[in-house]
Amino acid sequence: MPTPTLTQSIVITFIQCLMVVIFVFVVVPLTVFAERKVLGHLQQRLGSTRVASGHVGFSGWMNRRMWKMGKVPVVSYWRGIPGLVGDVLKLILKEDVIPAKADKFVFFLAPSISMVAAIVVFAAISFVPGTFFTFPTWFPYLGGLPVSGGISDINVGLLWILGVATVGVYGIVLAGWSSNSKYPLLGGLRSAAQMVSYEVPLTLSLLAPVVLSASLNFSEMATRMAVGMPVWALIPQVIGFLLYLTCGFAETNRLPFDMPEAENELVAGFHTEYSGMKFGLFYLAEYINMTVVSALASAFFLGGPWLLPFGLQGLLNPYLPGFLSWFAAPHAIFFVAKIVFLLFTYIWVRGTIPRYRYDQIMAVGWKYLIPLALVNLLLAAAIRCFVV
Amino acid sequence: MFKNEEMEINLGPQHPSTHGVLRVKLRLDGETVTHCRPMIGYLHRGVEKICENQSFFQGQVWTDRMDYCSAVANNLGWAEANEKLLGITVPRRAQYIRTLLNEFNRIASHLIWLGTHAMDIGALTVFLYAFREREDVLDINEAFCGSRLTTTAFRIGGLREDLPPGFEKMVRKFLAKFSDCLEEYEALLTENRIWKKRTIGVARLSAEDAIALGVTGPMLRAAGVAYDIRKAFPYAAYAEMDFEIPTRTEADTYARYQVRMAEMRQSARIIQQCMDGMPEGPVMAKLPKILRSEVNEVYHATESPKGEIGYYLVGEKGSLNPYRFHVRAPGFINLQSLPKMAEGGLIADVVAAIGSLDIVLGEIDR
Amino acid sequence: MSEPNVPQTPEAAEVPAGPYVYDYKAAPYRQITMPKTVPLPSYHAYVAEQKAAAEADEAKWQKTLADYETAKAKAEAEGKDAPKPPVRPVPRKDDNDMKPPVPQEATDADLLKLKELLGDKVEEIFEQAGELVCQVKKEAIHEALAFCRDEAALKYEMLADQSATHYPAAKDYACSVVYHLTSISRRKRLRLRILVPEGFAPESACSLYPSANWMEREIYDMLGIRFQNHPDMTRILCPEDWEGYPLRKDYPTVGWGQRDIAFREDRGGMLERIALQKAGQLGINLKQPKAD
Repeated sequence: MPTPTLTQSIVITFIQCLMVVIFVFVVVPLTVFAERKVLGHLQQRLGSTRVASGHVGFSGWMNRRMWKMGKVPVVSYWRGIPGLVGDVLKLILKEDVIPAKADKFVFFLAPSISMVAAIVVFAAISFVPGTFFTFPTWFPYLGGLPVSGGISDINVGLLWILGVATVGVYGIVLAGWSSNSKYPLLGGLRSAAQMVSYEVPLTLSLLAPVVLSASLNFSEMATRMAVGMPVWALIPQVIGFLLYLTCGFAETNRLPFDMPEAENELVAGFHTEYSGMKFGLFYLAEYINMTVVSALASAFFLGGPWLLPFGLQGLLNPYLPGFLSWFAAPHAIFFVAKIVFLLFTYIWVRGTIPRYRYDQIMAVGWKYLIPLALVNLLLAAAIRCFVV
Repeated sequence: MFKNEEMEINLGPQHPSTHGVLRVKLRLDGETVTHCRPMIGYLHRGVEKICENQSFFQGQVWTDRMDYCSAVANNLGWAEANEKLLGITVPRRAQYIRTLLNEFNRIASHLIWLGTHAMDIGALTVFLYAFREREDVLDINEAFCGSRLTTTAFRIGGLREDLPPGFEKMVRKFLAKFSDCLEEYEALLTENRIWKKRTIGVARLSAEDAIALGVTGPMLRAAGVAYDIRKAFPYAAYAEMDFEIPTRTEADTYARYQVRMAEMRQSARIIQQCMDGMPEGPVMAKLPKILRSEVNEVYHATESPKGEIGYYLVGEKGSLNPYRFHVRAPGFINLQSLPKMAEGGLIADVVAAIGSLDIVLGEIDR
Repeated sequence: MSEPNVPQTPEAAEVPAGPYVYDYKAAPYRQITMPKTVPLPSYHAYVAEQKAAAEADEAKWQKTLADYETAKAKAEAEGKDAPKPPVRPVPRKDDNDMKPPVPQEATDADLLKLKELLGDKVEEIFEQAGELVCQVKKEAIHEALAFCRDEAALKYEMLADQSATHYPAAKDYACSVVYHLTSISRRKRLRLRILVPEGFAPESACSLYPSANWMEREIYDMLGIRFQNHPDMTRILCPEDWEGYPLRKDYPTVGWGQRDIAFREDRGGMLERIALQKAGQLGINLKQPKAD
């Protein structure tokens, strides 16, 4: 395999960045669309499960047929697309209102911070260990060169992810402060408190995989957690997964922890004064954060690019017959499928349970999650010491 | 070094969870409410003045538009107050149909309450489930009187029309599925830990305070006072119905939730009895062409879904319109208790308290 | 040159002199018809009215009889047939279900108990349409409310409603204020009533029934009756700078600068046009009378 020159590797990295950005900007609108559809079906909404392109094309023909048969047409995967398109158009075309008394520079800065912090995390996320694909030999300039499964699989990957993701809080706090309005301020303060408190159990729950796998490199951790664990490691993994998912909900401000933007109390929380694409950036950042949290959960607990979760793949692989070897190997598709499932979980939870109160959220974070995360960490350390 | 400053914040008049144009001036210490002052009047249309200048019949459309979620209950109170003023006896079949529709209206109103209250607390799904069944109730309204929301369902002296053909089938179909629907809502909320955490012990209003503040309806019954005008001062056909008054003693938001859910079950029971025991006969009393009142003064209260809705009418001799038309709106009186419930709680509790009050600004501001 | 936004009518600039004294000449569309009677139900008044009516009826009958006697005597004297004896007209019985309730003498124990407790502070007690009414002197309302709430035999725990009515045709008072009390434990209702002249501020019920707070504010807002010792006597439904009291009978139903548009007014001949068009679609010519 040829070694790339410096320029070649820069071009390859650039291509990887492009792929990640495309991935993000495909996954996010699809998540929004899925949210409409899934919520639509969960809640038996009429709009998002039936709005379609009207009377044209195949779906229009189906529509008319079903109406004629006296049935309400429901089952169509593309119903609701006009709603999504309308949403996106609205965000892009809407007038961008800036409050007169706002701190203009910070008001501009805040959504960009949120957005950048959310997307930069993907630099350290590796979709599949090793080579993702190799350029065919006829490819100009890059022929025969391998493309790895992550942009930069650095040795402190997890540290980078946690560090950069935390910067996103600044976006929210600054947005709340710079709007110079009371509801955003309350929303910003709430989110500062909430995200700082939930950062601790989140990190602690991620420390268990670090201890177990003895690494901070993303792909190495994912590999070891999926195929290199003894059976005892199942328990801290399962506890850690649930803890991490809970904290992840809080970190991404989703129900039941959507305090900063609790619409029934604080109007829209920190982004009350935002409109147009600036609001769209917050919106995007939220969904990208969801994707990131899902990616981490999927990599460290659900086996990442391997098929089975919680390290079961490593336990099962020796007994796997040869003709199933495709299922024994890592594939990016498994990774993405798990991300999609976790995103679905987000929506599912949103459709099911109410919102905590602010003080109750704090109580849950400090009184239950942090002690539990510490115990889980101890358990993982014990397994590391005595079993591995 | 640190200055402790209270923050004054306006909840409303444009706010997602003030159910209209209620404005609540809050003073906050952090997130704790230290002072709360509801301010109303943004939807004042002068219904009382308008009705004083219209004939007895014409007032009804205004009662629809007061509490637009329970238009039939408002119509019933209005019709009965006018009948009391003019001394009209209503045929028994009309009484039964009125009772039936009124109970359907109670279900519709409580469903709206359930949906919006749950949404205030963050449970989105219940909202749409509740509206799904409300749609059926509105269809029944439509089948009876042609309109869904502002029904103008009754006439002084009875009803304009008898039940339409196929009505009984609609009602039976609704009753057959409704208890399952209620179980569906309860499955999402009643034992939900977060729902319980958000509602138990929140916005308490003791029985003594409630009575002193004139609070009626489910709010009062959740405090343990079994005061229901349908039983205490029976009207329409309620004296012949067999139903219970659900009460709780906890007097908090959760108790109000339980009371309202139980009330919907009782309403379904009453509807069943009305449908089974529907008498035959005319639906309209024999009346002169023009209704002229004598000198009289009546206060007639009925149990609307929100509480006691009372109409105070003064009749002038030989007059075609009421000399004085006053509405004792349940929401108006109940809203007075908001500061008592909200002060000392958090902002989120204010929202829960407003939700549990079940207010409609149309009737508060009139 | 006048501003374009200011209404061109010269009346618009003239603000009414007092809170509810309107210059109807300057603004004729604000003309209102004042009530001529005082529809205040009262047993005494009803009895007196009935008595007067019965006397008038009797007098009329006596006169008819006397006329008949004279006519009979005259006919006898002239030798003609005797005229038909008059039949006393019975009041026409309406064949309908409407029987307006009339005031009746108080027999309920609560009213009698109140009368006993308050003595001559009670102006009147009676029942009408099954409702108990007790009219007390305006200075004694607080005392009466206290008795109603605290007396073991009465125990009216809740002030369900409080309202007021404007009687511009009355001589010695301007408004009545009514208190609708409910006894939850005894399942009873009672109406207390006071008559207040212009400018009189009755004692607030807030100290006894906190629910009176907003209702009294509403009465002040709508009818301009102030209450003494009320914690917060401000307007509640109207804005704070609102002029006049809307539920008074002298308050016009048409706003300043608003045109009095009748419901059936055919603005611009629109209804006529639609009618002609519809008729034309049906093949009917409404424009030209048929040339038979």
